[in-house]
Amino acid sequence: MSYRKACRLFLHLSLLACSIMFLSFPASASEGRQKASSLLKEAVVLYESGNYDRAAELLAEAVKSDANYPEVHDQLGYVLLKKKNYDGALDSFNAALKINPRFRTSRTGIGLVLYAKGDLKGAEETLKEALTLNPYPAMTHYALGLVYEKLGAYEKAIHHFKEGIRTFKGGKR
Amino acid sequence: MRRHIFFLKMILLMFMAPFCIHTANAQAMLQIGKEAPDFSLADLNGKDVSLKNLQQKKAVVVVFWATWSANSKKALKRFDEFYKKHKDKGIEIIAINANNQVISKDDIEAVKKIAQELAIAFPVVFDDGLKTFRSYDTIALPSTIVISEGKIAYELPGLPLVGTEDLIDYLMTLAGEQPRKKVVQKYKPRHDAIADTNLAKGFIAKKKYDMAHPFLKKAVEKDPKYMLAYVELAKLYEIEGKTADAEETLKKALNIEPENVAVMTELGHLLIKAGRNKDSIAILERASALNSYTPSHYYYAYALGKNGQIKESLVNFEKALSLNPFEENIYALRAEVYDLNKMQKEAATDYRKALEMKMKIGK
Repeated sequence: MSYRKACRLFLHLSLLACSIMFLSFPASASEGRQKASSLLKEAVVLYESGNYDRAAELLAEAVKSDANYPEVHDQLGYVLLKKKNYDGALDSFNAALKINPRFRTSRTGIGLVLYAKGDLKGAEETLKEALTLNPYPAMTHYALGLVYEKLGAYEKAIHHFKEGIRTFKGGKR
Repeated sequence: MRRHIFFLKMILLMFMAPFCIHTANAQAMLQIGKEAPDFSLADLNGKDVSLKNLQQKKAVVVVFWATWSANSKKALKRFDEFYKKHKDKGIEIIAINANNQVISKDDIEAVKKIAQELAIAFPVVFDDGLKTFRSYDTIALPSTIVISEGKIAYELPGLPLVGTEDLIDYLMTLAGEQPRKKVVQKYKPRHDAIADTNLAKGFIAKKKYDMAHPFLKKAVEKDPKYMLAYVELAKLYEIEGKTADAEETLKKALNIEPENVAVMTELGHLLIKAGRNKDSIAILERASALNSYTPSHYYYAYALGKNGQIKESLVNFEKALSLNPFEENIYALRAEVYDLNKMQKEAATDYRKALEMKMKIGK
C-alpha cells in the first residue's frame, strides 16, 4: 500500500470513527437524560407523599444516569434536607449550582440548610440573595419567613409569609 | 302511661319540626348535579377501590372522615348499620379517610383500629395527599356525598342529627324501600343550566369575563333554583368591581332559597370585603348556626375579629378548624385577625401555616 493510500484509508477510518462517536454520544447522553428525567418525576411523587428514603434512592440512580442534570441534584438536596442529612443536602445544592449558577431553588435550598443548622444570619444572607435572583419567589419568602420567625422578628416574618402567599397564587414556587 | 308517652312524643315533634324543615333546606349545597370526580384509592389491604368500577350501582355513598373527629366515628357507625341491612339493594358505601395530608403509619393503625372496632363492612380507603378530598370540594369532616348516575346527587357536611336521618331515608328510597317518613323529592338542577354554568366558569378561568356573562344569565333564567349560577355570577361581578350587582344577585338567590348557607356565606363574605361588618356578622351568624358549612364559621369568625370581638372570633375559628383543619383560608384569615390585634407571634404562625398548606409543605 502506498503512503498516499494509507493516509487516505486513515482519514476515512478517522472520519468513520468520528461519525460513530458523534452519532452515538448524543444518543447515550439523551438516553441518560431521559432515564434521569423519568426517575426524577417518580422521585418527586414519592417526595410529596413523604417517602423520602425511596425518593433518595431513585435520585441517586438518576445522578448516575446523568450527572449534569441540575434538577436532579436540586431535588436530591430537598430530599436529604427532609432526611436531616444537612451536609449531603448542601453538597447536592452546590452540585446543581456548579452546573447552573443561577439555579434558583438550590440557592433557597442552601438557605434552608443553614436555617436547619441554626446559622440564621447565614441563612438570611443567602435567602436575600436568592430572592433577588428568583422570579418565582414563594419558597424563598417562606424560608426567609422561617428565619425571621426564629429570630423573633415577627413583623418581617409576617411580611415574607404574606408575600409567599401572594406570589404563590400563580402556582409558582 | 301510654297517654303520657304520646304527649311526650307530640311535644318532641313540635320542637323538632322546625329543625326538620330548617335543616333540609340548609343542606342544599352547590355541588348537586356536578359530575362526580373519579378516584382510585387503596383500601386497608392495599387493594384499589375505584369509583369507575361501581358505575352499575344505584348509588355510591362516599363518606369523608378522620380518626380525630368524634362525629366521623358516629357517621361510620350509622352508615354501617344502614349498609349491613341494604348492601344487596344496589347501594355501595366507601369511607375515605382524610386524616392528614400525608398518611403516616400511626394514621394507618388508627384507621385499622376503628374499622375493626366498628366491624365496618364497606371498603375503607386512604386518601394520601388529600387529592380526592379536594376534588370533591369537601368542607367538613365528616362529609357525605351520594353519587348516582355518575353525578353528585346529595351532599351533607358534618353529621347533623336530622340531616343524617333525612339522608338515610333518601338512600332507602334509592334502594327501593319504603322510607321511614315521606321523602321530599330531591331538587335536581336542570342539565342545561349546569352546562351553561360550567362553560361560564371556563371563560372566567381564562379571564374572558364578557363571554361568561351571557352563559351565567342564561343558567339563572333556565333554572332559577340553581344556586351555583347565582354564586358564580356574583363572583364575576365582584371581579369586575361591581359590588352592588354582586350583592343584588346573591340577595335574589336568597329570595328563592332563604336558608341556603352557601349563598348566605358568599353574601357575608362580600359584605366583609365591602367593609359592612355589622351586616356581614348578622348574616354569617345565622348561616353558621344552620349547619356545618365550614366557610360560614370562618367568615363569621373573621367578621367578628374585624369588629374587635377577638374572643368570640377565636372561638369560631376553632369551630371551623374542628370541621376542616385542611382549609388554608382559616389560618390566613385568623392570621389577619391576630395581626389587626397586634398579636404578631400568633399572626406569623398562622400565616406560615396558611403558606405551608398552599405549597403543600410542612416545616
